[in-house]
Amino acid sequence: MSNSIRNGLRAGIIFGIVIIFLFLIGFTLIAPELISKLYQGSEQTKDFNIGLLLPNLVIFMGLLGIWAGITGAKEDEPDTWAKAIVAGLTTGLTTGLLVGITAFIVGTLYQNEVDIRDYLVSLSNENIILFLFNQNALTGALYQFGLMTITSVIGGILAIGVGRASWRKNLAEKIGDSVRQTASMPKVAGTINSKYTRFALLAIIIVISFALPQQWGSYWNYVMGTVGIYVLLGIGLNIIIGWAGQLVLGYVAFFAIGAYTFALLTSPEPHHLEWNFWFAIVLAILAATLSGVLLGLPILSLRGDYLAIVTLGFGEIVRIMIKSDMMTGITNGPRGLRDVGGPTLFGQDFSTDINFMYLIIIAVLLTTFLAYRLQNSRTGRGWIAIREDDTVAQATGVNTFRSKLLSLALGAAIAGLAGALFASRNQFTGPEDHALMVSINVLCIVIVGGMGSIPGMFLGAFVLKGVPEMLREVEIYRLLVFGALLVVMMIIRPEGLWPLQRPRIEKYDEHQKQIPG
Amino acid sequence: MDIILEARTVSKFFGGLIAVNEADIAVPRNMIYAIIGPNGAGKTTLFNCISGFYTPEEGQVLFEGQPIQGKATNEIASLGISRTYQNIRLFGDMTAIENILVGQHPRMKNTWLDAILSTRRFRVEEKAAIEESRQLLKFVGLEGLGDTLACNLPYGAQRRLEIARALGNKPKLLLLDEPTAGMNPQETNEMTSFIKNLRDELGITILLIEHDMRVVMGISENITVLDYGTKIAEGTPDKIQSNPRVIEAYLGPGGAALSEKYRQRKNNA
Amino acid sequence: MSENSSPQSSKIRISPGQIARLSAGIAVIAWMAWRLYTVLFVEAIYGIDTWTRFAISGLILGGMYALIAIGYTLVYGIMFMINFAHGEVMMIGAFGGYFVFEALRNIPMPTPEDPKLSFLNAQPLLSVLLAFLVGMTIAAIAGYYLERIAYRPLRQAPRLILLITAIGASIFLQNAAMLMFGPQRQTVYNPVLLTRGTGWEIPMGKSVVMLTYTGTFSFVLSILLLIILYLVVQQTRLGRSMRAVAHDKDTAALMGVDVNDTVSKTFIISGLLAGAAGVMWGIHNGLVNHFTGFLPGIKAFTAAVLGGIGNIPGAMLGGLFLGVVEAMGPAALGIDFQLKDVIAFSILVLVLIFRPQGILGEALSEEKL
Repeated sequence: MSNSIRNGLRAGIIFGIVIIFLFLIGFTLIAPELISKLYQGSEQTKDFNIGLLLPNLVIFMGLLGIWAGITGAKEDEPDTWAKAIVAGLTTGLTTGLLVGITAFIVGTLYQNEVDIRDYLVSLSNENIILFLFNQNALTGALYQFGLMTITSVIGGILAIGVGRASWRKNLAEKIGDSVRQTASMPKVAGTINSKYTRFALLAIIIVISFALPQQWGSYWNYVMGTVGIYVLLGIGLNIIIGWAGQLVLGYVAFFAIGAYTFALLTSPEPHHLEWNFWFAIVLAILAATLSGVLLGLPILSLRGDYLAIVTLGFGEIVRIMIKSDMMTGITNGPRGLRDVGGPTLFGQDFSTDINFMYLIIIAVLLTTFLAYRLQNSRTGRGWIAIREDDTVAQATGVNTFRSKLLSLALGAAIAGLAGALFASRNQFTGPEDHALMVSINVLCIVIVGGMGSIPGMFLGAFVLKGVPEMLREVEIYRLLVFGALLVVMMIIRPEGLWPLQRPRIEKYDEHQKQIPG
Repeated sequence: MDIILEARTVSKFFGGLIAVNEADIAVPRNMIYAIIGPNGAGKTTLFNCISGFYTPEEGQVLFEGQPIQGKATNEIASLGISRTYQNIRLFGDMTAIENILVGQHPRMKNTWLDAILSTRRFRVEEKAAIEESRQLLKFVGLEGLGDTLACNLPYGAQRRLEIARALGNKPKLLLLDEPTAGMNPQETNEMTSFIKNLRDELGITILLIEHDMRVVMGISENITVLDYGTKIAEGTPDKIQSNPRVIEAYLGPGGAALSEKYRQRKNNA
Repeated sequence: MSENSSPQSSKIRISPGQIARLSAGIAVIAWMAWRLYTVLFVEAIYGIDTWTRFAISGLILGGMYALIAIGYTLVYGIMFMINFAHGEVMMIGAFGGYFVFEALRNIPMPTPEDPKLSFLNAQPLLSVLLAFLVGMTIAAIAGYYLERIAYRPLRQAPRLILLITAIGASIFLQNAAMLMFGPQRQTVYNPVLLTRGTGWEIPMGKSVVMLTYTGTFSFVLSILLLIILYLVVQQTRLGRSMRAVAHDKDTAALMGVDVNDTVSKTFIISGLLAGAAGVMWGIHNGLVNHFTGFLPGIKAFTAAVLGGIGNIPGAMLGGLFLGVVEAMGPAALGIDFQLKDVIAFSILVLVLIFRPQGILGEALSEEKL
């Protein structure tokens, strides 16, 4: 029994702190708004409709409370209802106490007209009022206390159901296993991987990707275009980190070099060059590749974390130099470059939204194709060998230096392409487009999507770029979630959302695409 | 006698520690040659000097007459030397057959450009390499396990996979670092005959480090004994077995006398 | 592992990497020499007073960098990871100090002479002491939980994973601070006794150089803490445990050292020092926000690497050196002051390329094959 109390206490403290944190960052206001958006569609009134939001708050905090109760009770694999309820109760009381006291303190300060927002900016009036259930400090606190306690007890009770629901876990496993087994049966595997299925799938994808831009409208074209560019970046960085295992943190530098090369060549100022789009893109790619090679030569023999920091430093150096007064003559400094050129096809302006989307799609398809070809080749295997064990890879015959340099060059080239496209689409580029955050974004895409896996890049780019674009309200929490996501993913699923899957070569031949007799 | 590998007065220091002290080894082609010695004698260090992981401070390593000390390990692999490792070092996240394919890396010529453009050279080479890898899988007894991730294979299979990977290079010289470590007697016997087979069927010269004396005495044709980095004896298994210095290296001072006493008792019994 | 120069017989092998490094090195040194020459002899705009001013502010900055750098070096020593989130620990300390000052500033202690007197100014020494206590403690707690939550589950994981986790933790903490306290930089109101910009005036050259109270205080405290830390590491049981774990984790465990406990204590100590640096930063520079820890963090890491990662005196000297170079660098090289961060980054890049083991050499057992 004391175990239950201890677990309950611990869960209670953790959840209490978490809830207080959510309150302090304003999420306890946003979450109910999101919930109402869910079942009321996107027409939200900008007014603070307490009647609407209050039940949503109850739902939100109630769910948290139940979760707390489950956590508190589950630790112990409770075998008796009593233990579960005690655990849930302890959790609830602890959480309730912490949350309630916080609510009370904040509420009292608010009632006394103390402006806490000087220090805790997210404690807006709406946030506080809502948190107190639109009551005065004491009553609101008591409501919170009660809500937490009750829902935690419910959670504790549910924990027994969850714990005893091992049949659910087994079912999931069984389904997974049977799917895997079917997939690996020769005939099925043969069909899935046969040339014809692949072709059909590809055809479908191509048709869809060319039809959609017509239908979407410019907002979606913009969002998906950005996603597409980040897919490119993901694939590029994936080659460097996911395959060759070189932790390059300054990837944005190559993006910047590509963007700026392109912009400088096609923008009327400051150099009055207005070169052809395609020509400029090629040069942008070359410039980025060259910088990748130049950077790689001296640093590739550094060990992992040092390499990371050096490349980070390099990325920052590039950005600061671009922005600096010293280089303003060349780069136009903090003002950036405007009127960057758009694509032309046979002399005609090609730069509508839709056409540009096609351009991006083509670039993505091309790069993906390249990446797949590389993945299952001698070069690709060499990279993964390097990532797994650099020393042994070299002893097995892989020229590690050249291989790593190649990965850097290719990754940089792709980033250069992405940068040029980005600048061209936005018709503008400036130092703020090339901050460290871009590197971190792409890193997250590679890691969360699945290190080394190409479909993972698509998934990652969509989740980490597309979803936040769509959920504009939670934009301010984006980076917070990123950070937490990185940590959590590393702990529970370091291989990513769509992990890299090694090809099945023995059973059937990838290149012949048929089952050997 | 055609000497395929020679180490001439090779010395390796780590700061003040003399790990290998002027070791001399001459391995004739097609021989199974063993290096033995108590723990810490410098056997793996010597191996590392030969395979290019370390550069000896003194001395030379000659492969087919050409000096190779100081060369990068991938160059040494291209020359036809492969090795395995004391604590198995496979590419865990790759499948078994992929590990073997990496082993073939130095023999394949296609580049990334070939891969992207899927040139004829690429397709032909890949197909041949895959077929060869399948053969090697069969050869080491891992047929059917080719698509398993290397890290998921059982211990014995991993050892054999490491050898298969080394064989992918079609090496002239194979360095085996404690190939039977952690194996039970039956597995050891299988490995022993397997190694002999490698030499007999494929004509590969084998240089091995071993602790298991049955293996050493069973298949080696010539043995060098190291102790504290210095070579203390060399010769055929019989000569080594009865060499008092060798016995003392393993059993300590007075060991030779002890061993002699034991042998007397055995003969009298 | 690549560049091996071998003895007598074989020819010298030079890899393309070595050539690149050599040419890059020569280019950099040549450029620096040219700039220095220009500034010091040709243009000679700065007098001795200005240089002294730079040197002083450099040392003050360096002291803070040294405190943070020790944190990096200690953690790298025992866990072989770069604690990317260490800068944020410093930031947390800075906020701790800031909030204490704010709270004390709003506690009225009116006297007949000064009806608007606050606790902060009535008891400045106590206030400062409190600020440091709170700031350092909160930072230490943050460091402790950072390790428990984000790093301990990944103790056995490859370095890449740990690095990414650290980056994630850093981003999380930065943004948590921003969401809670806002992106604006908050002004730290020192007690009147320690007003920024006041200090002793020392005549030098043609004008006067000021030795600020805040600066002197920071520097002296930094040195004090560094000395205490050195003694702890060298003389105490905890210090021995830390050195043992740094050298060989498994053997230390076999010898009875509680590795988890030692690791936790290391993070606590790093946190204490970084927290102190954070409070000092607030007092001396006057502005804190969520981003305060980022640049000092990277620069302190540079300092740790400069001195040799894992090497404690190295981190101290590296910190001081970096501070001075950053303060004097732009002037000495005749480049824009905007680019002072570039200097720090460039030093980092250069050190890592040319002498990754740092000036004083790494005090770690390098992983062999």
